[in-house]
Amino acid sequence: MSETGWVPIALSRCIAPGTSAGTAVHGAEIVVWRDTGGKAHAWEDRCPHRGMKMSFGFVRGDHIACLYHGWEYDETGTCRYIPAHPDLEVPPSICVTRYAVAEAGGMIWTALPLGEMPEVGPNAPEMDGLRSLYIDAPLDAVLAGLHTLALQVTQTGSLITATLGETRPTLGLHSIDADHSALHITLPSDTPTAIRLSLLDQLATLRRDVEAPLKETAQ
Amino acid sequence: MTQLVLHNYDLDDACYRVRLVASCCDLSVELRNVDMFPGMEQVSPPYLTLNPLGRLPILETAEATLRQTGAILLYLAGLDPQKRLLPTDTSELAQMTDWLFFAEHDLSVATTARAISIMDVPGDGPATLAQTRALLRIMEDHMSAQDVKGLGFFAGAEITLADLALFPAFALSRDCNIDHDAFPALRLWARRVRATPGFIVMPGIPDYH
Repeated sequence: MSETGWVPIALSRCIAPGTSAGTAVHGAEIVVWRDTGGKAHAWEDRCPHRGMKMSFGFVRGDHIACLYHGWEYDETGTCRYIPAHPDLEVPPSICVTRYAVAEAGGMIWTALPLGEMPEVGPNAPEMDGLRSLYIDAPLDAVLAGLHTLALQVTQTGSLITATLGETRPTLGLHSIDADHSALHITLPSDTPTAIRLSLLDQLATLRRDVEAPLKETAQ
Repeated sequence: MTQLVLHNYDLDDACYRVRLVASCCDLSVELRNVDMFPGMEQVSPPYLTLNPLGRLPILETAEATLRQTGAILLYLAGLDPQKRLLPTDTSELAQMTDWLFFAEHDLSVATTARAISIMDVPGDGPATLAQTRALLRIMEDHMSAQDVKGLGFFAGAEITLADLALFPAFALSRDCNIDHDAFPALRLWARRVRATPGFIVMPGIPDYH
């Protein structure tokens, strides 16, 4: 996949301070984590020690620690502490690969190709995160389903704005791998609760419609 | 209070549900450890006398022998003088019961999937995994809607028995390779469950808070 530029990988509100989560973009596994100070990070999801997923680990202040042996990495991705050797001054060459990270429009973003550090951040309108919807289908199929269900669909980069019922959400498009996608769904902050709930139902219907033909093929 | 005896296996998620609820209700329960895997002690003659269904958990009270996990959980929550896990509102109580039945009935396939994965129990691994994932998705959809309503737990704004009954299946799903990536609302909910006074873990659920 030759996609370049910023792509959304999570809703900001879903990554609480002091937590981590795993995801992937076009098959490349990423850990998204937020330190207790509130700053978001996007790294390769792999501990250099034994290859364990960092997303299975835990956040301690501004460090993230691997679940296997507790190796702790600071915000630059550099290993700072190895519990089995508490007195060791850790060689600075032990590092996790960091990716670009930004927050805009209620979403956390990274940049493609991974490792690229763009000077200008993503451009997204101020929105409230509603939910991230994970769909067992390629992003192309999700987009086709969205065009069937919604009116006035406009796409700019990885963002789609569409009219669904009484509201006009902005959806972050996220291709996890060839068979899995996510929509990071955001709304204007003044959207009433009843309309938010109705949007949740419509998007669950979209997921069902998009996945159904794929499930039939699989059987 | 009369002594409660729990016939227990530490790696069994239903036994963990009982220990977890007892701990959050501040109740002391005497544990009798049973060699469920690989010993299959729960189907030995003395255990079949205690529970002809041949499974754990079993809770012995002064008056009765309880062998349905859901019934054991309700009994323990009722013994709690503060009844902190039982809503007083009738509708919330009904929602709690709805999810408690979901946890004990529908979600039992998650226990099966995990047993196939880590305890060599025979069964259709891929089918039970797909069903487990579909059930976790129902939970994720529900908690996404609860978030919109400003409610942090399955039956309302406060934790109930339902949350503790549902928690193990989600927390242990990685034992059968269902990771938590696609369940952000459940991740946030699990964090709230972990903050409950009396919360305890079991092997397979990391204790990092």
